[in-house]
Amino acid sequence: MKYFLKTQSDRRLEVEVAEDQGEQGFRLVVDGEECQAVLRDVDRLGQYALVLDGRSYAVSIEETDEQHLYVNIAGESWQVIAEDEREKAAGAIAAQGPPKAEQIKAAMPGVIISVSAEEGQTVGAGETVAVLEAMKMQNEVQSQHGGVVESLLVASGDRVEAGQVLIKLAPNPDAE
Amino acid sequence: MAPSRSKPVTASTPRPIRKLLIANRGEIAVRIQRSCRDLGIETVAIYSDADRNALHVRFANQAVALGGNTPAESYLRGDRIIAAAKETGADAIHPGFGFLAENGEFADAVAAAGLAWVGPTAKSMEIMGDKLSSRRAMVAAKVPVVPGTTDAVDDPAAALRIAEGIGYPVMLKASAGGGGKGIRVVPSAQEMESAFSTASGEAQNAFGDGRMYLEKFLVSPRHIEIQVLGDKHGTVLHFGERECSLQRRHQKLIEEAPSPIIDEATRQRMGEAAVAAARAVNYHSAGTVEFLWSQGEFYFLEMNTRIQVEHGITEEVYGVDLISQMIRVAAGEKIDDCVGLVPRGHAIEVRLNAEDPDNGFLPSLGTVRNLRWPGGPGVRIDSGVYRGMEVTPYYDSMLAKLIAFGRDREQARRRMLRVLQELHVGGVKTSAGIALQLLQTEAFITGDYDTGFLERYVEGGREAPKREVTDDLERVAAIVAALHRQRAGARRPARSSQESSGGSNWLRAARLEQHGRSGR
Repeated sequence: MKYFLKTQSDRRLEVEVAEDQGEQGFRLVVDGEECQAVLRDVDRLGQYALVLDGRSYAVSIEETDEQHLYVNIAGESWQVIAEDEREKAAGAIAAQGPPKAEQIKAAMPGVIISVSAEEGQTVGAGETVAVLEAMKMQNEVQSQHGGVVESLLVASGDRVEAGQVLIKLAPNPDAE
Repeated sequence: MAPSRSKPVTASTPRPIRKLLIANRGEIAVRIQRSCRDLGIETVAIYSDADRNALHVRFANQAVALGGNTPAESYLRGDRIIAAAKETGADAIHPGFGFLAENGEFADAVAAAGLAWVGPTAKSMEIMGDKLSSRRAMVAAKVPVVPGTTDAVDDPAAALRIAEGIGYPVMLKASAGGGGKGIRVVPSAQEMESAFSTASGEAQNAFGDGRMYLEKFLVSPRHIEIQVLGDKHGTVLHFGERECSLQRRHQKLIEEAPSPIIDEATRQRMGEAAVAAARAVNYHSAGTVEFLWSQGEFYFLEMNTRIQVEHGITEEVYGVDLISQMIRVAAGEKIDDCVGLVPRGHAIEVRLNAEDPDNGFLPSLGTVRNLRWPGGPGVRIDSGVYRGMEVTPYYDSMLAKLIAFGRDREQARRRMLRVLQELHVGGVKTSAGIALQLLQTEAFITGDYDTGFLERYVEGGREAPKREVTDDLERVAAIVAALHRQRAGARRPARSSQESSGGSNWLRAARLEQHGRSGR
């Protein structure tokens, strides 16, 4: 299985699990580079022991949902969005497929800085509809497929959680 | 630190305290209980419904339910608290900080009920609790205050005359003030006329009152405070300073003792001023005189007539237990054993608050799911938090105080880095991460920071911490996320086949169906 990772500073990484060796851990290919990793669940409460290429890390993981994780190592914390091949492919297919209703969600918890879309407005695929500030960084929230804005569920200044639906789009009837 | 004596505040004979009611909750209640255990004093806890399982309840010898959740329903119910003390046979009340700690009426009611009050007199609190009366008392006691006018002026000519006496830069403040309106910094006499008319106009518009106060504008002010302790026999001592400039909207985040910029001569001058301030209001018990320090001069800000959150760093540096001393003072004992103590080494405190520094420091509510405490040489944890604790919206967000002590500042700093790297709190967001960053900034390392530093740091975006370990932790974090998903994926099909029905497993199974199960 291959995973596509994105951190809150927009750093991207591809991790392929080349071999699951059970107790021995995993043989990985990280951005084309071979690694050996063992990750053990310490307490079933979120603490893990990681050994990566012979270096040891005390790690804590907090899961917002399957794809959104906070990883804490040595007092520092990173938010990571993790997609597997299937999800990435599904996203790509959906982007090419026939127009359908879309729910635009917050990728991470934060505060809505602005909403540029208006109800009834037609937005294109990839168009920015809002700006979300998280971790002191402003992130553009984009529509994946485009469509007609059916409802705006947030306004600027709102605090949102990861995965929260921000805007609902109806399929664009004019799309081919 | 020479003892200075004057006439006794009250001619009281020592009356031992055998059982103490702690009119507080959380970390400070636990802290007071610890001193009581050391002194062989029994403790009575009080608690709200929300705090039924709290640590301070479990640590006490007796606990009395107050009911309710909000402070008004519970920890502010002075009548019920005094009744609880009487019922349980307590002979004294320690208020901690916050809640009723600086409430003179409550202090009087406690005394009237025949109980010892572990704190100063109501009279001391009243004078120091009011901006004008405390300033007047300080001027009379020759304690330096921020130079300025006590009466508002209404024309620029008068302002010019007064500013000449204060010395530039000066600050103009609307007498009816508020919300930052009608405030101007005037760098020199040339700018006075125009600054006065715009500020005065703004104030006239906003408040219908164009009169102005003048005050010396302090450049790069630092918040430095002096710990004092007095007994009822006329001894007042100081325990040096604490540097508390790392704060945001008057909420301190990191404190250290001693201050990196105070030398021994200044320490003595500030200490003497603080003792004079305490004497001016016949102070006994522990208290803190807060000063603003700017360009080598210091000015009285206010006196907190109670024990303070950050008292622990003073305790580490002076080798004293201030809570025990407060209890002894309340029992009428002398503080002679504190005379002549000298500071040793350096201590740094980080406040562990349940708040989200990435989201405007908003309180972070939830259940503490996971907790890993630091330890080792030079580490002290004063805490009220435990795994499974619910962080509720009713009380303040402080979970614990992390204190690192070292022979010098750099050793203390490095130990605090270790503390923050070892610590983990899961389930709520905390201030630990931003504290770790701040401790690695150039400003902190050199000690060159003022009260505006934290706000500027937050507003200006974060600089990357100067980590010494060269590992690329961001990359490691991303790899961890991939491994976590891989393991979760491997676990889920196995579990759904082994276990019988269960809501979450059904959900997982359904999700797998949707995605199409892949053999892994």
